[in-house]
Amino acid sequence: MSDRNTAAGGGDTARGEPAEDVLVEENQSGSVSLPSLMTPSSAPCMSLSMEMPRKRKGSLDNQSDGEDQSVKMKCFREPHSQIEKRRRDKMNTLIDKLSAMIPTCNPMSRKLDKLTVLRMAVQHLRSLKGSASSFSEANYKPSFLPDEELKHLVLKAADGFLFVVGCDRGKIVFVSESVTKILNYSRAELIGQSLFDYIHPKDMGKVKEQLSASELYPRERLIDAKTGLQVQADLPVGAARLCSGARRTFFCRMKYNKISIKVEEKEFQASTSKKKVDGDGEPDKQDSSYYSCLVAVGRIHPHSSPQVNGEVRVKPIEFITRYAMDGKFTFVDQRATTILGYLPQELLGTSCYEYFHQDDLPHLADRHRKVLRSKDKIETDCYKFKTKFGSFVTLQSQWFSFVNPWTKEVEYIVSTNTVISYYPSRTSRSELSSNSKNSEEDGNKSHQVIPGISTTPGAMIYAGSIGTQIANELLDFNRMNSSSSSGSISPFSLPQDKCPQTPNQISNNNSQLDLDSMVGPGLSSLSNDEAAMAVIMSLLETDTNLGEAVDFEEMHWSS
Amino acid sequence: MTANKEKKRVISRDAARRRRRVESEVFVDLSRLLPLQQSVQDHLDKPSVIRLTISYIRMHALLKGKTGTKAEASHAVKCGQVMKSGEEWRECDRGRDDEGKKTDDVEPSEETNMFLRTLEGFLMVLSIEGDMIYLSDNVGIHMGLTQTELMGHNIFEFTHPCDHEEIRNNLRLTGEEVWCGAKRDFVVRIKSAPTHRGRSCNLKSATWKVLHCQGRAKVCVAPASVSCLMLTCQPLPLSHTLLSTHTFTSQHSMDMRFTYCDQRMTLLLGYSTEELLGRSIYDLCHTLDTNCLTKNHLNLCLKSQSVSGQYRMLVRGGGYVWVESHSAVIPSVRPSKSRPGAHQPLCILCVTYVLSGVEEPSMQLSLDQTVHRYVR
Repeated sequence: MSDRNTAAGGGDTARGEPAEDVLVEENQSGSVSLPSLMTPSSAPCMSLSMEMPRKRKGSLDNQSDGEDQSVKMKCFREPHSQIEKRRRDKMNTLIDKLSAMIPTCNPMSRKLDKLTVLRMAVQHLRSLKGSASSFSEANYKPSFLPDEELKHLVLKAADGFLFVVGCDRGKIVFVSESVTKILNYSRAELIGQSLFDYIHPKDMGKVKEQLSASELYPRERLIDAKTGLQVQADLPVGAARLCSGARRTFFCRMKYNKISIKVEEKEFQASTSKKKVDGDGEPDKQDSSYYSCLVAVGRIHPHSSPQVNGEVRVKPIEFITRYAMDGKFTFVDQRATTILGYLPQELLGTSCYEYFHQDDLPHLADRHRKVLRSKDKIETDCYKFKTKFGSFVTLQSQWFSFVNPWTKEVEYIVSTNTVISYYPSRTSRSELSSNSKNSEEDGNKSHQVIPGISTTPGAMIYAGSIGTQIANELLDFNRMNSSSSSGSISPFSLPQDKCPQTPNQISNNNSQLDLDSMVGPGLSSLSNDEAAMAVIMSLLETDTNLGEAVDFEEMHWSS
Repeated sequence: MTANKEKKRVISRDAARRRRRVESEVFVDLSRLLPLQQSVQDHLDKPSVIRLTISYIRMHALLKGKTGTKAEASHAVKCGQVMKSGEEWRECDRGRDDEGKKTDDVEPSEETNMFLRTLEGFLMVLSIEGDMIYLSDNVGIHMGLTQTELMGHNIFEFTHPCDHEEIRNNLRLTGEEVWCGAKRDFVVRIKSAPTHRGRSCNLKSATWKVLHCQGRAKVCVAPASVSCLMLTCQPLPLSHTLLSTHTFTSQHSMDMRFTYCDQRMTLLLGYSTEELLGRSIYDLCHTLDTNCLTKNHLNLCLKSQSVSGQYRMLVRGGGYVWVESHSAVIPSVRPSKSRPGAHQPLCILCVTYVLSGVEEPSMQLSLDQTVHRYVR
């Protein structure tokens, strides 16, 4: 036999040949080395026909070593002793494992020999069976575990319950015991009731749809997951179709009965279910032979965060925002409103720089640049953010660039903002100067009012361009480096100190460079007014429509 | 002298034969004690007998120990789950209350079978080291290898090497988790030997099947240390998915930008197809769910299939809905003779289930929801 095995696969790789004909080298090594076990005649290779799967030996031990192809190829020419050695090692490992499982083996300090371990295993199994438990049943169905235990195991692992409802009225025909654990209703309470009593009102339509006879929904939409195409189902309408055992999944919210009087709703996951024609219908059904019902498994949705008071338990002084690469708000969490006073839509589309206090512009711009180039979360220092009412709140944020896993490009920046303190007074020049005295990063500068940079609307535009400039920088940088960098190297992995020196090829070179040096690492050492002047200067180059709203999206960069 | 040597050789050979025979007898004894059909027992090789014995002992310890540990009882309470006291929970779990006896309509085995069949998956009990201690017998249908062939083996031998890290992370039990239900939900690629048409079942020709494993971890320190994961494993995806009014399909390029979505999307979320083309799904979703989507996306890139878990999709005009997506990577469709114009590069197909109604309809969170589309 071994000869035939080796001959069949000899020399050729198994790959090119149809699976059912070839005797793979793995198997060859397996079959060659399989010792004469209990039934020597049945030392087949894995690739023999599978009509009687149970007859096949569990001969995986030799194949499933996780060895790669090349090793297996060599096996064919491997000395018999090597194969034998491996087999022996495997057996020894198993024996060791077994002895660890047997209580009587454990106390032994020295390693026991194989035969003894086996004999003790026999004794142990006999003792297990002898104990009064369902394990001692003589006659097992092929499930290896006793039925009752298996049932509980399954229901526990799946965190679900089985239920059967009649399709016509949604009457609960059967529900498994585990429902009690999940929904806190006892079986008796549920059986015979209408399923709809326990479904969230908004989901009733969904559930009805699933239960309804196909007459109402003659055109079931199916998609073939292989091709992604929709398949028009030309299925005959009628009860007969239900026999197809069409599988379906749906999600619905079901009632959860708390001990207290108030009944809460709990998000509750899909039932995966099949339609089944049940011949033994209810006695009161006239047409019992066509009684159809839905057999379903209900499981708690693993990700449900129930009781949506808020979503995640974050502190109430925190809110999340998203910026586009240039710093424009693209997403604002509703909690921002209570903190900032603006509704999300008031902020959306505007640049964050318009709201940052001038003192903070330098360091925030620096962080902005950093975050676009780094995979890490970047913390800002505390900074002031202008609220709707004119006052400032002190925030501290954590930014990170969200990168598309596939393209490795930055999609947007996510900002988690924490409120440090509120400044209740209204803004004025005096306010600003007092703030600046209190601000943490800027102790020595006295704030001067810069023409053009004050709390007039005009100033907003200038501030906004900072973000745009930063974004442009990055894009230009990427463009320049795209030819040199390989696909796997993210542009962000290049050292940061290169960035400020990168000459900007796009127009406004001078101003850009100025801005670079301003916005770069050295900025914090400059005074506010210098920074402000730099911003104005750059804008004079780029912005031809001072004082008007400019669509900065028209500028250099595009997504 | 040679006669002497010869004699010694014969003696030792006989001794060895006797030893082997004795050993084989013990193996037979052991196999008879296993809860399997005789026909199966007869055909087990020695390593399998040992593997299955180990499984048997472990499962015994696991199931007998389950009513004992305090940890479980208190964890049920901590999670805000059903029961107030540990005892009630145990009773319920055992199901030997009077109620169960009254409505004795379904046999336990029948119920289990129905359950697993409906789920279209199998049960796996995984030890902390990764040994598949137990597999329900329908595993053969899904994996192509029978229960007795697989049980006792280590899962790392059957899964894709790139997924090993994830499996290891899931096998780790933290102290915190013991008290909090320790749920598990992950996707792995596993070797599956096709068995259709009764053809050969050859591990060489095994393909990778994507398995969605869900369940919980269980700590059991007494009587024996049998901590493990109890999981239901469902191969993904089905070749046909039945759609309802609350689901829609969409197609995306590999970076998750929309390339197509069906009309139900418009009905459910308000965006027209044209509006969405070229837009990234990450723009459409609530920021707090970025992680969830990223994980989903990575799963798709690496494993070609994924189940996303819940996340929020923003509705046009304001508000959001909770959804869950089941996605798969569709292999490239090359133009063929019958469809010369059809060329479809690698793309992602998503079936998205809408779970909730529109929440906070007046709340506009993102730029996309405002009337004027954010032109990039």
